[in-house]
Amino acid sequence: MAKTALVVDDSPTMRQMVAFTLTNAGFKVVEAEHGKDAVAKVAGGPQMDIVVTDLNMPEMDGISLIKELRKMAAFKFTPILMLTTESALEKKQAGKEAGATGWIVKPFNPDVMLKIIAKVLPA
Amino acid sequence: MKHPNPGTNDALRRAQGVPSLSRDASRGSEANELAGLREHQQAWEAFAACAITMIPVLKKQMEAVTQQTERAAMDLMMHIRALTSPAMASRPTETSPNLSKIVMAMQFQDITQQKLEHITQAMDQWQKHLHALLKGPQDESAKQEIAALQQLEQSYTMEEERRLHAAALAPDYQEPVPIETEQTEEESDSVTLF
Repeated sequence: MAKTALVVDDSPTMRQMVAFTLTNAGFKVVEAEHGKDAVAKVAGGPQMDIVVTDLNMPEMDGISLIKELRKMAAFKFTPILMLTTESALEKKQAGKEAGATGWIVKPFNPDVMLKIIAKVLPA
Repeated sequence: MKHPNPGTNDALRRAQGVPSLSRDASRGSEANELAGLREHQQAWEAFAACAITMIPVLKKQMEAVTQQTERAAMDLMMHIRALTSPAMASRPTETSPNLSKIVMAMQFQDITQQKLEHITQAMDQWQKHLHALLKGPQDESAKQEIAALQQLEQSYTMEEERRLHAAALAPDYQEPVPIETEQTEEESDSVTLF
């Protein structure tokens, strides 16, 4: 069965790029524009196998989204990758403390992203 | 320049030795008006000094956006040419690396959008500051606005923006030379697993 990925980014082009990469690799993709939209889409919805989220977004940013997701039983152990232009160490630390599994700095290389996803997805 | 308040004309005349229109004004209020004018002038000078510093920074950031757009367009053309070349038609399994490079190049839009948003934030801050200055002397908001303007660097998210900022402020700034290593991308700074 195809694995499902939640892709959260306020930039439609970025969402398309990530969705294109994941769909080509066999994932089913659910897209959200920002943290609040993502929370609304996963509430009582399908189980996600992986989450790829941007950091700086309107309404709810990536760090707050991770904190919200980690409160939900269905997302306690789901790998969550932050995909952002931000590379400052203190931001990465904040992501780690919120519960992120990994941090990828944009622009992302699709091959590298897929290798990282394969690494963090449970066998 | 718009005069900030009705008393300013009198104070300016007095400062220039021109007879005042309200000769019966007390010495105390004259001193207050002059202090207010001085403070107002200082606020304008602070704004001008900040503008002189920040304009080269913003120019440098905008030049970087233009260069990035051009680079991305060139990359896209090169990879599309490779994908559509007759030689590639006989080797369909080799399209994947070119597709990956196209996806990477396409992300310039998100990156340049963020850079331009940071420039817009700085310009909005200038506008707020100018409005505050035009309100008149002794306006506390002008002081607050100029402090906010000088914090442009805090809005940056990219390492490149921080480097360009430093380069624009220091003419002798040297760009760090990238060190060639055998590191793969997944081991580099662009990917961190916690």
